[in-house]
Amino acid sequence: MQLGRVIGTVVATVKSPGLEGVKFLVVQPLDRQLRPVGGQVVAADAVHMAGPGELVYIVAAREAAQAMPEPFVPVDHAIVGIVDALSILPGAEP
Amino acid sequence: MKLGRVVGTVTSTINSPAFDDRTLLLCDLLESSGEPAGGYVIAVDTVGAGAGETVLILDEGNSARQVLGLAQAPVRTLVVGIVDNVDLEAVEGVAKRGPAVGTPRRRHPKRA
Repeated sequence: MQLGRVIGTVVATVKSPGLEGVKFLVVQPLDRQLRPVGGQVVAADAVHMAGPGELVYIVAAREAAQAMPEPFVPVDHAIVGIVDALSILPGAEP
Repeated sequence: MKLGRVVGTVTSTINSPAFDDRTLLLCDLLESSGEPAGGYVIAVDTVGAGAGETVLILDEGNSARQVLGLAQAPVRTLVVGIVDNVDLEAVEGVAKRGPAVGTPRRRHPKRA
């Protein structure tokens, strides 16, 4: 899993069966210093409470669909948690 | 599987039910020499690993669910071991015993 920042929402009326009611958010993956790293992804919101600006963690690949109520859906990134706190061991900061 | 070093923790109250009551560890990925490989993962702890320890990281979904005993869970990455030592002497042409991989003394007692 990776950290990410929610930076937007995606609205799609026409989508694959099984994705009805699923909220999609644009997420910028972050490194552990919370700097943007890599390209933005569209992630399904599996916690139903994430919103723009929030720090979240996302799961990628096949396991993303496992976060959905119906696990056989075409989803490859999912938000599976909203970060309350990130604690870095002293000395591990670069 | 991959080598990593525990550098922090992630806490959340709003998350998929699979992560309830589990510890999420932020782990830097390591080369076998113990040097940072670049990148990190957030992994679910299954062994009671603590800060600063070198760990073995499993990054495959089916195995992860099997270890956790869950049929459906959006979990792919687990800490499945605490590394005592990595020995590279058996491989010709590779630098001998990795210097930095030895795990520092435990800071926390092993959790249940």
